[in-house]
This record gives sequence, C-alpha cells and structure tokens, in this order.
Amino acid sequence: MNAVMSAVLVLIALLGAPLFVVILAASMLGFMSADIDLMVITIEIYRLVEAPLLLALPLFTFAGYVLAESRLSFRLVRITQVFLGWLPGGLAVVAFVTCAFFTAFTGASGVTIVAVGALLFPALVQSGYKERFSLGLVTTSGSLGLLLAPSLPLILYGVIVQQMNLPNPFSIQELFIAGILPALLMIVLLTGYAIWSHRGIKIERGTYTRADAVDAIKSARWEIPLPFIILGGIYSGYFAVSEAAAVTAFYVLLVEVVIHREVKYGELPRIVRESMIMVGGILLILGVSLAFTNFLIDAEVPQLLFEWIQTYVDSKITFLILLNIILLMLGAILDIFSALVIMIPLIVPIALRFGVDPIHLGIIFLANMQIGYFTPPIGMNLFIASYRFKRSITELYRATLPFMFVLIIALMIITYVPAVSLIFLDRD
Amino acid sequence: MFSRLLKGVHWIEDSLLVASLASMLGMAVLQILLRNFFDFGIFWAESFLRILVLWVAMLGAMVATRESNHISIDVLTRYVSGVSLRIVSFVGKAFSALVCGVVAYYAFLYVQFEYVDETIEFAKVPTWLCQSIIPVGFSVMSLRFGLQAVLSLVRGVPA
Repeated sequence: MNAVMSAVLVLIALLGAPLFVVILAASMLGFMSADIDLMVITIEIYRLVEAPLLLALPLFTFAGYVLAESRLSFRLVRITQVFLGWLPGGLAVVAFVTCAFFTAFTGASGVTIVAVGALLFPALVQSGYKERFSLGLVTTSGSLGLLLAPSLPLILYGVIVQQMNLPNPFSIQELFIAGILPALLMIVLLTGYAIWSHRGIKIERGTYTRADAVDAIKSARWEIPLPFIILGGIYSGYFAVSEAAAVTAFYVLLVEVVIHREVKYGELPRIVRESMIMVGGILLILGVSLAFTNFLIDAEVPQLLFEWIQTYVDSKITFLILLNIILLMLGAILDIFSALVIMIPLIVPIALRFGVDPIHLGIIFLANMQIGYFTPPIGMNLFIASYRFKRSITELYRATLPFMFVLIIALMIITYVPAVSLIFLDRD
Repeated sequence: MFSRLLKGVHWIEDSLLVASLASMLGMAVLQILLRNFFDFGIFWAESFLRILVLWVAMLGAMVATRESNHISIDVLTRYVSGVSLRIVSFVGKAFSALVCGVVAYYAFLYVQFEYVDETIEFAKVPTWLCQSIIPVGFSVMSLRFGLQAVLSLVRGVPA
C-alpha cells in the first residue's frame, strides 16, 4: 500500500465514510499487494465466532438500554443522595457516583448525560453550585465509569488483547479489578475540586434520616442486587463474564418489564434494534480489523514502529508521556471503539517492549479516551450536552475545561503509578 | 411496489435481529440453569451462541446502514454544505458500496467452497449456513450504500 493510497483512504475516512469500510479497503489493498486471495477477509470476519467473551457485549448492551428506558435513574439518584448527600460536596458526590455507576452499565453512549445528567443539573444549581460548574460536571460525568465493570470498552479491550496471544495474558476479572481504584481516584479528585471551587459558598447538604434510607432502599430493592450479581458473580469466579451478562439481561428484563412495568413489551423490539445497531457497528469494526491487524503483523508494522520509536524514546517513562499525548489527541478525533480497535494491536506490542503491563496499559488507554469524550473539537459528550441543555458548544468547552485539568492530573497519577491499577493483582 | 418490498425487507431484518438476540439470551440462561441445577449441558450450545453473536453483529450492521448510523470519524462534513456536501456524501457512499460489494463477492465464493465441502459447524448445522450471513449482509449493505449514494446526489443530504 503506497503513500498515495493511504492518503486517499484517510481523506475518505475524514469525509465521513463508515470506519469499517475504510479499514476493509485498507486491508484489501494490503492483501492485494501481497497477492493474497481476498476470500481471506471472510475467514477473518468469521473469526468473530472464536471469541467466547464477545457474547457479553450484546447482552450487557441490551441490559443497559433497557435500564436506561426505565426509571432507574430517578431511583439511583435518590438512593445515592440519601447515603452520600450529607458528605462535604453533597450533591456533587452523588452526581459523580451515580453517573459512574450508570455509565458502567450503559457504556458511555451519551445515555448518562440524557438520563442522569438532565436530572442532576437543575438539582445541582438549586443546591448552590454555580451554573457553569454544574454544566461542566454533568458533561464530564457522562464518561465517568468507563473503567468500572461491566463497561463495554473495558470488555472490548480484553477481547482484543486476548486475540493477540500475549506472553503475559490476563483475565477479564483482573481487568475489572484493575479499574476500581483508578475510577475511585477520579471521583475523589473531582469531589475535591468541587469542594475547593466552592469554598466560601454555601452548599446545601442532604441530611441522612433513617426513614429516607428505608424508603430509598425499598424503591430500589429490585435493582440493588444487580451489582452484586454481576460483580460478585464475576469476581468470585462463579460466573464467566458472558454468563454474568446473560443473567444480567434476564434479570433486568424481569425487573423492569415484568415487576416494575416501566418498559412495555411492545417497546422491546425497538430497544433490541437500537442497542444492536450499536453492537453491530462495534463488532463489524472489530471483525474487519481482525483482518487488518493480521495484515499489519504480517507486514511487521508494530516491529518497525517500535524500532522507529526506540531511536527517539529509550525509557518507559518517556514512552508513557508520549503515549498519553498521542492518545489524548486521538481521543479528541476518534470515538472510543474505533480507537480501541485500531490502536490497541499497534500499541500493545510496543508497550510490552517498554515493560508496560497490558492491564495497566488498558487502564491508561481508557482513562485517556474518557477525557477524549469531552475534548474539543468533536468530543461526543459536548454535543450531547449542548443538545440536551441547549447551550452553545463553546460554552461547554469553557465549562468542562477545569474538569479536564482535574482528570488529566488523575490520568498522570494512573499512568506513572502503576500500583493504582495493579495493587490488588498478583502480576510480575 | 418498491416501498412495500423495502418494508418487507426491513421487517425481515428486524425480526431476525430480535429473534437472534432472544435465542441468544434464552439459550445462555437455559445453559446456566441446566448447569447449576441439573448438572447437565447442551453440548452444541456454546457453538450456537457464538454463531448468534456473528448474526447479531451482521444484522445490527445491516440495520445501522439502513439508518446511516455507522461509526465514522466525520470531522470535515461539519464544515461543508450544499452542493459540495452532496458530492462528499456521494463519494463516501459510493466508495462504501464498492468495498462492501467486493467483500460480498469474495464471501459468496468462500461460502460456496464450504457448501461443496459439506463441513458441519455444530449438531447437524452446516458451516456454510452459519457463514451465509456474511455475504448476504455485505450484499445488502452494498445495495443500501449504492442507493443512498444516488439519493444523496439527487435529493441532497438529509440533516
């Protein structure tokens, strides 16, 4: 594939052609130049059936979409408010925790901003937070929780890396555990910023009463077991990840359709369609990139890239700094799924050479992408929030900027202190 | 006539998609129940579930094409409008139609080989049937992109 062809493909991608088409075209050109029959593309796409973990993707996504259609967001805000609302920072903590939880389940597809953010924005302003701060908070929180199980990008990272047959493989369970502290770190730093930026301003705090607590628990009694089923089941090893996904989808259907009746039977086909459009889009990109990755490896691209980088970068720290800069820029123009599928096969082999643990790398990668969700010019959260709250994009740029700084600090800690991700894991 | 045919195709796609996800969920849950309470399992369930993932992926992608809902980078299209937007859109769609068409052609060839070989994927289900969604899906997507290419040139790009 020569330079002219590559340039044409990049142009076509920038002009808005579907990414899977661009990747397909690139791998076709590659295979053709190597005299390989194009039937190989079918074989590579069919490799989608070789990854048992992939089953978790459609099932978790479907469960998340059903939850988003129910009134779970109300119950979730309520219960968090009762138990965390009295903390310093009050409603801000509630907002961070609720959004993180919601995003972990629904994938950061904008649902969090629409369902939870819209609920919290007026409440934040009412309890004394500045309007611009509140706007920035709900926009930023739309992707908080990407690092928590069972978020889709986290699973996808695991799937892609498992396909690569690394010398030091890891399980999805380990990846799930690794994400916990980094996500907490982000929440703590953001809360610190919320308190600091409103020092001297009176912020209403909730009060904890027993009656409220009982009431809130009662209203959410069917959903409270959910995290325990998923996380308990997965972490204890009782369920495989795909089994946990099946149980979750089944349980969510039971609760929201049969018990709460907040989602009607007649709506289910539409929800299936909407959620599977997203899954189909992601899996197709994954499928075609399996073909592309093979071509890249045959052409020894990661090897060449490593040698080229090595002439400029000689330590793990410099590599990580460079990695963060590249990923932040990438996150600003690519959505998380494309970024994962395209970049992981290139970055992982190089990172391993520099001695970065693949689990740590995954957490770094997703933490970068999380920031990319609200980085100008095309961070998705910005557009969704602009649409939902009827504010101009530029206003949102300004509102999210301080949050971006806070999260970049978190990102730096996560990147340069591997223990934050790996402390609970037994890895060398 | 044409619009009725189109509606029929959409209905088939949607139904297959819902049926695939429903059987996926049903089979996965059944397998867990059998394993935990009866110490028993359907031995081809695993393969069946994996094939369903492929089917859900392809069907979802076909519907995504119908609704122009594919993941794309889309940086430049925000800054063009009018005639240039029509042309840009036409180029993207026509290119996609071509690429999907080529993939579909080679996928048909490949599946034909599997048909002749009579390989079995699981239980009594032949491999070619499991794979058939790949050529079919890419053909449908190719046709759709082609149609959208023509439409975007003639009618302009819907906002």
